[in-house]
Amino acid sequence: MRLISAVFIIVLLFSCKKEEPMLCVDETLNSGMAVLCEGLFQQNNSSISWVDFSDNSVTNELFVAKTGRQLGDTGNDMKRYGGKVYVAVNISSTIEVLDANSFTSVKQIEMIDGGTAKQPRSIAFYGTNVYVACFDGYVDVIDTTSLNVLQRIQVGTNPEDLAVSNGKLYVSNSGGLNGPVMDSTVSVIDLTTHTELQKIVVGLNPGEIQVDQGGDVYVITRGNYGSIPSRMKRINTQLDVLEEEFSFDVSGISPMNDKFLVSYYDYSTTQSSVGLFNPQSETLENASYLDVSPVNTLYGVHYDIGKNKIFLLDAMGFTNTGYVREYDVLGSYIISYHVGLNPTEILVYD
Amino acid sequence: MRCCLFILFFIPAWVFSQKDTIQNIQEVRASDFARIPRKLNSSITQEDILETNPTDVGDIIRKISGANIKSYGGLGGLKTVSMRSLGASHTVLAMDGFSLPQLQTGQVNLGQMQVDNLLSVTAANDNSLNTALPVSMQVSGSSVLIRTFENTFLAAEDTLAIRANAKYGSFGRLDGYLAAKYQPGKLMVSLFAGSRQAQGRYPYSLKNGLQNLTGTRENNDYRDFNWGTVLAAKFNRSSVRIGYRQKEIKQGLPGAVIFYNQTQDERLTTDEKNAFMDYTIWGERFSLRMHASGLLHKLEYRDPDFLNGAGGINTVYNNRSANGGATARLFTEHFTFFGGIEQIAADLTVDDSLFAAPVRFHNYGLLGAIFWWKRIKIKGQLSSQYVSERNNNGENAPDQFRINPFLSIELGKYRKHLRHQIWYKNTFRMPSFNELYYNNVGNNALLPEDAHQVNYGISIVPVERKLDLHIRSNVFYNEVRNKIVAIPTQNLFVWSMQNIGTVRVYGFDAMVDAKWNITSYWKSVLTANYTYQRTLDYTDEDSPTYRNQVAYIPLHTANMDLAFYYKKTGLRVSNYFISERYTLNENVPQNKIDGFIITDVSIFHTFKIGEKHHLRAQGTVKNVFNNSYAYIRSFVMPGTNFLISMSYAFN
Repeated sequence: MRLISAVFIIVLLFSCKKEEPMLCVDETLNSGMAVLCEGLFQQNNSSISWVDFSDNSVTNELFVAKTGRQLGDTGNDMKRYGGKVYVAVNISSTIEVLDANSFTSVKQIEMIDGGTAKQPRSIAFYGTNVYVACFDGYVDVIDTTSLNVLQRIQVGTNPEDLAVSNGKLYVSNSGGLNGPVMDSTVSVIDLTTHTELQKIVVGLNPGEIQVDQGGDVYVITRGNYGSIPSRMKRINTQLDVLEEEFSFDVSGISPMNDKFLVSYYDYSTTQSSVGLFNPQSETLENASYLDVSPVNTLYGVHYDIGKNKIFLLDAMGFTNTGYVREYDVLGSYIISYHVGLNPTEILVYD
Repeated sequence: MRCCLFILFFIPAWVFSQKDTIQNIQEVRASDFARIPRKLNSSITQEDILETNPTDVGDIIRKISGANIKSYGGLGGLKTVSMRSLGASHTVLAMDGFSLPQLQTGQVNLGQMQVDNLLSVTAANDNSLNTALPVSMQVSGSSVLIRTFENTFLAAEDTLAIRANAKYGSFGRLDGYLAAKYQPGKLMVSLFAGSRQAQGRYPYSLKNGLQNLTGTRENNDYRDFNWGTVLAAKFNRSSVRIGYRQKEIKQGLPGAVIFYNQTQDERLTTDEKNAFMDYTIWGERFSLRMHASGLLHKLEYRDPDFLNGAGGINTVYNNRSANGGATARLFTEHFTFFGGIEQIAADLTVDDSLFAAPVRFHNYGLLGAIFWWKRIKIKGQLSSQYVSERNNNGENAPDQFRINPFLSIELGKYRKHLRHQIWYKNTFRMPSFNELYYNNVGNNALLPEDAHQVNYGISIVPVERKLDLHIRSNVFYNEVRNKIVAIPTQNLFVWSMQNIGTVRVYGFDAMVDAKWNITSYWKSVLTANYTYQRTLDYTDEDSPTYRNQVAYIPLHTANMDLAFYYKKTGLRVSNYFISERYTLNENVPQNKIDGFIITDVSIFHTFKIGEKHHLRAQGTVKNVFNNSYAYIRSFVMPGTNFLISMSYAFN
């Protein structure tokens, strides 16, 4: 019988758990940035890191600290509109609506349609609506006040990104889950009638989409990661026609004032570059505007107008926790912040 | 006398006296050495299997020291075993002396293997199993040998044996098994059929931030049916066996518990057909075994929710393999010479025009010798392997040729019941068809993954009248080079396999088996083991994971089983512990998942009706402390659940 007691003592010893560390974040967010980290597929480990600019410290679980729960699986997009922040969580299939000042939860919108996850991917805004590209082939229209889904607009397969220009919504249809026969179109949606006007053929596997100050839409067609290279294309939004293809390697576009930072990451060589593109003259002004040597795996580029700084998102090989690397607008590297797994979006608070 | 004492402790249920053909063959020459119980490797006996009421073979193997189980949960859920951190594909499984190749994934799903027919499960990294086994088993990093009721001969005095059992348990679990073998004289015929099923809708509780998420596991149903027959004959100096097994499985794949999204409805259907035969002949100074087997393994995977243009995925994978070989041994006064050849031919066809159509021819050759002299035993072997690949739909992987050594020196001290062993071996495992060819993920330029293992072991058997004690311990060092890992190479959603890893394993284990005869009615058995595995990533000095503990390998693993028997009634408490692990190679707090201890309790009683009929009733409560635990992040396992069983045995 002593042996039985011994067993239970061992059980108790093994059962003791260490205490959870307390998460301390200010009630109202200021002078810092929230960094959305995707995590990895099927691991429920998407997170939001908070970088405090006053002492450059990083808190890795901002979302948990503010809401008491985890963000979920694969957070793909995070944007601010009015007094709210919207986060699209792809595999968990939710839109998390947060108060922009306190980051507390306003509503979690479940994105499930008839038992199938819609898989929200990216977010855009127009008027009183939020537009969400969902991987199941629709753009959902959500009212910013009621936070209800008003309507679903059918587009192409696996829509990836959205941009608003000239009263219309441009949706890049990647068809990424349909490989190797991916989609090649951009859907044009009338923002008054919420109907698809047409599909513009732009090239294989459309991805990121951006608008310049003149209203032109630029879309990346990522090709087949082999013989068809990743390229930037320009759509004239007056005529809704594809007007121009640029011949340089590019996989991401980020606006910086009236210009674009165009980035490229080559998965096979792990080499990356960030160039400066002028959308007025339609020329690549500088192919290597930033010295990317501090960056291991370039996963995103973000320019913040208030802070007037450039932030490069470093995914560190995708299986290691990432970094945000800060540069000044002239391209000098300043500092790195160690954040969560696969940082993908930034919201800067002044 | 000591031997008898040892056997006496195997109570209270049935003591089976079957021996299989392979084990009949004289392995060991008479010497002092042979009398010391061979206990450097780990064996799970039929008593262990009965008393712990395991769900599947994975539940059995986790009790073996050095085994690291990855379980994705539920009845029939994917379970694989990695021995001593080598990786699951380094383990070769054999059933009754026939290897079970799995070339598509490289890993047998232990969760799909039922347990009612098992007599023993033995695992070894030190090539100690048996030199009559197929060569593929003798040249692998580690091997697991399973023996079954249906494929073993009856004791000489018996002509009929019957086994039947029924189980009922939580989450809609219902099992049935019936087997019989008839052996009038030299001929033996056996027949068996079994089925397991469960709804698998178990409640779970999972930590979500600072909250607790509770829910019910969905799409976790499972139903299998398996049957088979063996025809065998045993003569004075030879034996022959021929048999067939078939398995049909239908199951839901519940996937990870994804926060806020419970829409999984993937399905898997498995259909497996296995035919096997062998012929063994032996004499005073030699033995020869010839074996052949064929396996058809069909998988049908369906995901109706996959967001592609076709509106879902429905793919059928057909993996066929045929294998044949021979092993021969020659015994002299101080030497046993052994050797063998084996040829495996396998292919994979997929009803997806994008998938490769690979064919592999894998040839094995083995030569070795065991030298016995006084208290020294030296075993050495050299093996060769030639692997030729073809792909009928695209580029194929290059051919491979390897020579691999094994050397073991054992020192036995009879009077002190002490035994030392030091061994080294170099092995490799081929990349699986999936790793080489799976659509974008596969990389047909992959090299085999190399493993080096060095081990020092000691075994002590102190002699006490009432206490039978075995103590064993090993220190080991393993190094895996050219480790095959997946990294994103085209985009974040397309990962590809690369040979980039180097892993070093610094390990230690200790095992104690104690059988204590308290009074003539009361007996007690303790089996415990502990394994320490510091498994470090040595791939890249500049990586943040350099010298970090490799993902999903616990530093500490322990088992402790304690059983008490009073006459024909028994109680067994099983404890299984693994320490915290990291879900990725980077050892940061976000990647940590908690360690756990699981305690199962069984109570059983055997009724003897006449001389030969045994009826056994058993109740098992698993996870009695209702711990929430997971082997793999977000694949949460069931809380407290029960299983009751009734079984009948004749002979």
